[in-house]
Amino acid sequence: MAGNFWQSSHNQQWLLDKQDLVRERQHDLALLTEEEYQKIFIFFASVIQTLGEQLKLRQQVIATATVYFKRFYARNSLKCIDPLLLAPTCIFLASKVEEFGVISNSRLISTCQTIIKNKFGYAYNSEFPYRTNHILECEFYLLENLDCCLIVYQPYRPLLQLVQDIGQEDQLLTLAWRIVNDSLRTDVCLLYPPYQIAIGCLGIACVILQKDQKTWFAELNVDLEKIQEIARYVMNLFELWKTYDEKKEIQGLLAKMPKPKLAPQR
Amino acid sequence: MTNKQNRYEKIEFLGEGQFATVYKAKDIQTGNIVAVKKIKIGSREEAQDGINRTALREIKLLQELHHENLIGLLDVFGHMSNVSLVFDFMDTDLETLKGLEYLHLNWILHRDLKPNNLLVDGKGVLKIGDFGLAKMYGSPNRINTSQVVTRWYRAPELLFGAKQYGICIDIWAVGCILAELLLRVPLFPGESDLDQLTKIFGVLGSPTEETWPGVKMLSDYMEFKTFPSIPLKSIFTAAGDDLLDLLEAMLALNPIARKNCTECLKMPFFSNKPAPTLNAKLPLPQNIRKIEECERPSLKRKLLDAAEGGTLSKRLFV
Repeated sequence: MAGNFWQSSHNQQWLLDKQDLVRERQHDLALLTEEEYQKIFIFFASVIQTLGEQLKLRQQVIATATVYFKRFYARNSLKCIDPLLLAPTCIFLASKVEEFGVISNSRLISTCQTIIKNKFGYAYNSEFPYRTNHILECEFYLLENLDCCLIVYQPYRPLLQLVQDIGQEDQLLTLAWRIVNDSLRTDVCLLYPPYQIAIGCLGIACVILQKDQKTWFAELNVDLEKIQEIARYVMNLFELWKTYDEKKEIQGLLAKMPKPKLAPQR
Repeated sequence: MTNKQNRYEKIEFLGEGQFATVYKAKDIQTGNIVAVKKIKIGSREEAQDGINRTALREIKLLQELHHENLIGLLDVFGHMSNVSLVFDFMDTDLETLKGLEYLHLNWILHRDLKPNNLLVDGKGVLKIGDFGLAKMYGSPNRINTSQVVTRWYRAPELLFGAKQYGICIDIWAVGCILAELLLRVPLFPGESDLDQLTKIFGVLGSPTEETWPGVKMLSDYMEFKTFPSIPLKSIFTAAGDDLLDLLEAMLALNPIARKNCTECLKMPFFSNKPAPTLNAKLPLPQNIRKIEECERPSLKRKLLDAAEGGTLSKRLFV
């Protein structure tokens, strides 16, 4: 939203500490390695992205849903709620908060069924198991775990301004925008303010396109160490992608993932 | 979250609106008196939409906004489509420009300002409440509905069907409320949307392309018989010139000509003598702490009657 980021709940309550994240994840990391844990989150970020695109939502809504998803598990073990249920619930809540049209619950469920069958068949052998009442029940639980903080600031708006300041370049914006989307597969949205993420992603885009913007970056009044940390998170993701074959590994990872005790009742 | 229901002990029923019922309750953990707003579940179809949108708007905005003149959201509890919001308990209804300025600075339109949504706490501090229609604004491509704001406080551009509007609709509502404080009755109590426009133009004169450029292009525009404007002085006989200037600035027919909160706050009325009454010295209904015994035909009226119009309205509007 427009409004004041500095006084927002995002800035004041939801920029977490790396140590806190590690501590909260202890339980899950006893069963999964850090890399396996990240791979699971990469997978569900893709599920949210695909679901959002299928529902023709704007990237802003999809990004907000992804941040809800990550905030929830920043405080809870994967066994609290099956991420396959939480993912559509985050989309459902985010679309209402961002006020971009109504998604009917039946359309949400049927879209989930379609994408699980057609796009993520390599991960799931059976069909999407959840129904409307599961989503509704989960929605409240999500709201509570977010501490009712619903407005999420995204790097897209600052990114537009920054690229404009460098001098409008479509190629640079397109690439940096995609890197911001990729950054949703890392922890940066939990750790750094969106304007820093925008700068970090823009920096990577400049390097990839071999655009020398050193003087422009040097003149930014920003903590460059933080920017480098962000860039490192994203570059690590790119490194991981080089050797990782999700189609082969994901079933094994999902099987290993801690699960809720009760399976959903049909 | 379900356990939280037991945390708030219902004391009495306070009122019912279109979307919710409100109870006075005691927070047994802190002993504080709070207001619990239980959102109506609505039809089965609406229940399928999960947490009510009106409630979500209030939750998301109030979680971000903290100002002395805005109501504070303390807690949220419920289950599925059954949501309750817990607020500071306010003793009676009334308003302010400072809180609204803060909202507008944060790019938020309230869209439902009226006397009932202006609350005063036991210390005489005014707070803006009810964010069920509030919305972020500022995207030029965003189409909004013109069906907002209770009719008596609805700006003429909304009545003409404007789908793109700004803070000027909230300012108009404040102008109507200020006028109501002075008159003790609503200024434009229209019985239908058409009657509403007739009542407005009957006082302020009907608009022309000269006084309001572009008015004829609004989707629901229609020609009215030409009314001359009546000098505000003849309606608000007791009001000083500085106050009339303020009213005129807020009730400009042309939304572009209407002043914003910051401009209004800078007008002479707010710096001229007499200075506003201190919060603590504001007359509040005497039985404010014993509401059960009070029959309350209108606490607001009593509050107004007890005060000298000018100073009170100044205090409440600063």
